[in-house]
Amino acid sequence: MAVKKIKTVYDVVCPFCGTLCDDLEVDVADNKIIEVRNGCQIGTKKFFASNPSEHRYEKPLIKVKGSFKEASWDEAIDKAADILVKAKRPLLYGFSSTECDAQSKGVELAEILGGILDNTASVCHGPTILAEQDVGVPTSTLGEYKNRADLVIFWGCNPVHAHPRHLSRYSEFVRGYFRKDGRNDRFIVVIDPRNTHTAQIADLFIQVNPSEDYELLNAIRAILRGVELDEKEISGVSMESIKELADKAKSCNFGVIFFGMGLTQSLAHHRNIDAAICLTRELNDHTKFLITPMRGHYNVTGANQVFTWNTGYPYSIDFSRGYPRYNPGEFSSVELLLKDQIDASLMISSDPASNFPAASVKNMFKHPLIVIEPHQTPTSENADIILPPAYAGIECEGTAYRMDSVPLRLRKVKDAPKGILTDKEILEKLIEKVKEKKGE
Amino acid sequence: MSLENLILLTGRTINQGVALEGGKTTKENVRAAAICTFDTEDFKKLDIIPGTPVKVSTDFGEVIVYSTISEEGPHPGIIFIPMGPWANQVVNPDSQSCGTPTYKGMKAKVQVIKDGKVLDALELIKTLIEV
Repeated sequence: MAVKKIKTVYDVVCPFCGTLCDDLEVDVADNKIIEVRNGCQIGTKKFFASNPSEHRYEKPLIKVKGSFKEASWDEAIDKAADILVKAKRPLLYGFSSTECDAQSKGVELAEILGGILDNTASVCHGPTILAEQDVGVPTSTLGEYKNRADLVIFWGCNPVHAHPRHLSRYSEFVRGYFRKDGRNDRFIVVIDPRNTHTAQIADLFIQVNPSEDYELLNAIRAILRGVELDEKEISGVSMESIKELADKAKSCNFGVIFFGMGLTQSLAHHRNIDAAICLTRELNDHTKFLITPMRGHYNVTGANQVFTWNTGYPYSIDFSRGYPRYNPGEFSSVELLLKDQIDASLMISSDPASNFPAASVKNMFKHPLIVIEPHQTPTSENADIILPPAYAGIECEGTAYRMDSVPLRLRKVKDAPKGILTDKEILEKLIEKVKEKKGE
Repeated sequence: MSLENLILLTGRTINQGVALEGGKTTKENVRAAAICTFDTEDFKKLDIIPGTPVKVSTDFGEVIVYSTISEEGPHPGIIFIPMGPWANQVVNPDSQSCGTPTYKGMKAKVQVIKDGKVLDALELIKTLIEV
């Protein structure tokens, strides 16, 4: 048997989470991924999932009488364009797991259709953006934290599970220019309702009652201003612990708060982030302090950037009047679906059937559904048209933005299956067809 | 047996992340995300062995998932279901007009069930489709 020729691609950017690790080494033989080095469990799995399997779509599919039939690209694009042109209020959602050029084409298509344009920030860090728009944000790039931070607070996030290499690359174990002893040079605080795996390796764990972060944030702000609070505990945290945390924060050289869904998806939503940003700002009266959201999808930050430079708004954009309008409480995908205010949808590299609350998923399936999705998901399996793309960052190049808004160039490590187009090419074809049908 | 006045949280776990990249329609995804983790003391009150299916109900719906003991405890009174279609049957879709649903912090009740089974992702989503 002939020995397979193995090609190794170095410095590969991982297209899974917002940490966007850029030091992966990927071995490819016979156009299959055979080894991934340096990646976390989830990122590695994503590379392997791009190999041919029963879960991967390799031909456009159209649903006829309840079962999928293979179709040519021309036929599938034509049918999809038909659905979109006929719809009065189509929803274009997803975008966070693809590269920036495809996102830009998505904006163009939504504008031509007069539809709704939304990305996954609307179910994760949307409240973060709302708060940043209200009060601004003192933030920095991850390299600064790595080199300088001696106090790291993880609030409502669990990077051991969600951003597995964040701790070793930027925030906890890594040696930095001014933090030569790595973990020993940093004091790690975790604030969470559960004693998470991140909390179990922290120096200080503060167990806050669920949905009561807002009170705790404001208690710390009050104490920083020298106010004596006439309470024994706030949000389940003793006054001594709150004072200890406030002292730690004031006395560090360089502090950072990383926060996650624990703040954005609990009851107070953007008001939590608003308070966290104000706390960070006020800590700068005492020392240097910054804050950064732990963005989930690898290019959700990019989706916000691309949408903003094209339309002025980062997510939940309505083009129905011919110009962009922004109001997440009205135009976010979940709100629109709950009120049943759309009549067709195009989901790009996203699985809303799994990730939206059940009541909104019910309404999504009432209307025609097109997906651009490489592998089987509960959304795609119940769609009317499946347009299978190449994996961005594995089978085609592109740009993605890290959680700290640093753009990185994604690499291509192998070819897409024969005949498969990229997200960008599929959207370009849709734009062309939609224009043709609208007579433009 | 049943437990009332629990708080339900949802979120990412690494197993759920690996499973969703490996195939959302697989059994692996069921094992990773169709679970509810309990505080050790709360779990004792249920008097069952880990893996027994339980019904989790909130004001917004109900879902049957496998029970298990949390590795991230103690967190008395709190139960956790990894993000995914099972959690989303019982989360609060209301966003208080900010656009983002309230995926964390629902009041929940748990019952040990005699019959009924844990559905896989496709079966579960099928129940949401009106014919």
